[in-house]
Amino acid sequence: MVPPPEVAHWLAGAVALLIGLLLLSEAIVGPAVFRRRAWRAYLWPSIALGGGIGLWVVTVLSTFSTIHLLAHALWAEAAMIAGAVQLAVVRGKLTSPRWSLVVAAALLVSGVAFLVHESNPWLSSRSAFLHHVIGWMLVLASLFPVGHAIRPRRTVWSAGFALTFVLLAVLLFADRDSAPPLGRLGEGGVP
Amino acid sequence: MRTGALGLSIAALVALFVPTVASAHATLRGSSPATQSSVAAPPTEVRLRFDQAVSIGPRAILVLAADGAVLSGPARLEEDGRVVVAPVVGLARGQAYTVRWQVTSLDGHSPAGVFTFGVGVAAPPPMLAVGARGTTWRDDAARWGLFVALAFLVGPLSLRLLVLRGPVPSALERRIHLVTTGAALAAINIGIVAFVVRASNALQLPLRDLLYGDLQPFAEKTRFGIAFLVMTVGLGAVLGLLLLSWVFDALALRPVTLVLSLGLLSGLSLSGHQATEPNATWLSALVDWLHLVAASLWVGGVATLALLVWPAAPELRRRAFVGFSRLAVVLVLVLALGGVYLAIERLSRTSDLWTTGYGQLLLAKLAIVAGALAFGAFHHLVVRPRIEAGAGRRARSSLVGETLVALAVLLAAAVLTNASPPPPDGASAPRASSAG
Repeated sequence: MVPPPEVAHWLAGAVALLIGLLLLSEAIVGPAVFRRRAWRAYLWPSIALGGGIGLWVVTVLSTFSTIHLLAHALWAEAAMIAGAVQLAVVRGKLTSPRWSLVVAAALLVSGVAFLVHESNPWLSSRSAFLHHVIGWMLVLASLFPVGHAIRPRRTVWSAGFALTFVLLAVLLFADRDSAPPLGRLGEGGVP
Repeated sequence: MRTGALGLSIAALVALFVPTVASAHATLRGSSPATQSSVAAPPTEVRLRFDQAVSIGPRAILVLAADGAVLSGPARLEEDGRVVVAPVVGLARGQAYTVRWQVTSLDGHSPAGVFTFGVGVAAPPPMLAVGARGTTWRDDAARWGLFVALAFLVGPLSLRLLVLRGPVPSALERRIHLVTTGAALAAINIGIVAFVVRASNALQLPLRDLLYGDLQPFAEKTRFGIAFLVMTVGLGAVLGLLLLSWVFDALALRPVTLVLSLGLLSGLSLSGHQATEPNATWLSALVDWLHLVAASLWVGGVATLALLVWPAAPELRRRAFVGFSRLAVVLVLVLALGGVYLAIERLSRTSDLWTTGYGQLLLAKLAIVAGALAFGAFHHLVVRPRIEAGAGRRARSSLVGETLVALAVLLAAAVLTNASPPPPDGASAPRASSAG
């Protein structure tokens, strides 16, 4: 029995929140303080890479429609590649700040997948609204890593990048596919 | 930055309190009769339960007999539009039936699907539903792409682990990382395409509707679907291991990656047409897997020599060529023995080789294999002694030639895997419906 889609979305929200809070911590205290323990720098890229692997399980459970299968596969690949490249940057294997462009591309592709995934107008439903908000948010947020590639020292890029994940978590937690907006799962006549 | 963050926060809050009921497109949650089930008595109606209300036309559910006759009446909605019901008449015991459905969600999308059920008999897989088309060149192309991607995944790994043990130049190491990671990514994506293409043969939907087609009966009830699920998750793990091995220079992860990848090749053996034939046994599946492993290691190994070792590590050419040459002897032996066994298993009579389409395909494949073996023999008997003597610098062009012929062998293998062998003597064709 495949669990309702909300469960996977809330799990993804929890992972996004974890990444967002880690990034936000680094943005607030600064990299010099945050990375006094070297392992901390590995945290968010590792979670992204591991989350990407986990997303493959969600992908194969998303066979209830072709477009869901394709979208989830795209998100899994984007998370894995962005996580691995960022791990390589942290490890010193890749040194140019331009590697941030890979993260930018991952956000852009993920955002576009959300938008293509949803062909209805913004206000036609909660689900449609969330797809549009998340899609455009990720597309716009791809500018933060681009900014980091050009001006690596400015805090605004890392803070914006961190807030993107926190907001993504909020939006994913707000998702209800088959229940009233503020009701618990099971209300609204889930079969 | 503050303004931007404030704007995004407001958007998030708005998202929390938009007072509408969510409605992603409708998903089929269950049916009666169930997908690919066998029921004891002929049902008088077919019921589909969705996760949300849908709208329908009178032909939202079509129940089809094996001869294509429509046995269902006009569909109606029940339970606030979440259940679609169609009456059926004229069903008989001992027959299998196809259900094709299409509804419209509140969001305007039109999910659609197909499944089968049997009355007193086992239901055929959804690929054999009435109206389903057999495999096409798209299936062959996708399977070939998958073969090639997997060969480029296991070939460099095996050459590095079995032939070029110890340190190698960083340029070669980088290329091996790049090629294997790219091959794993390609294998995942081509696998998804192959799965969707195969399902689309049965769904028979225009592209826009195919995007909302229900793939669950194919994913959960067919061997190729289950193989797809396992291979996708497994290749995701392989991709993760390859990325970690690159980032942390953790070469110890490579043996695990190679073993896992070779194991995943069994998905191709178990999902091919032959695996569902009446005379298929665990032994034939095992031999098919060994045949595939040997072919992948051989093709991938030759390609690695030609495309990676030759340009990136000239100092290792001799070691790599001689070492792979020894390995190739074993691989070709396994290939040949496996191929002979499988041919005997799948063809009842020698004359099937020229009187059946499958046999003719096999002959064509054997002709290409002969070309590849000629290249191999030339390399083993002529080039290898030259290289051992310190000459043979021009071997790359003939290695590229062997790679190209080997890729053609994989193409023939892909077409053959999707083809149906002639039924064994005394057995009827396995197709459970009359649809083509």
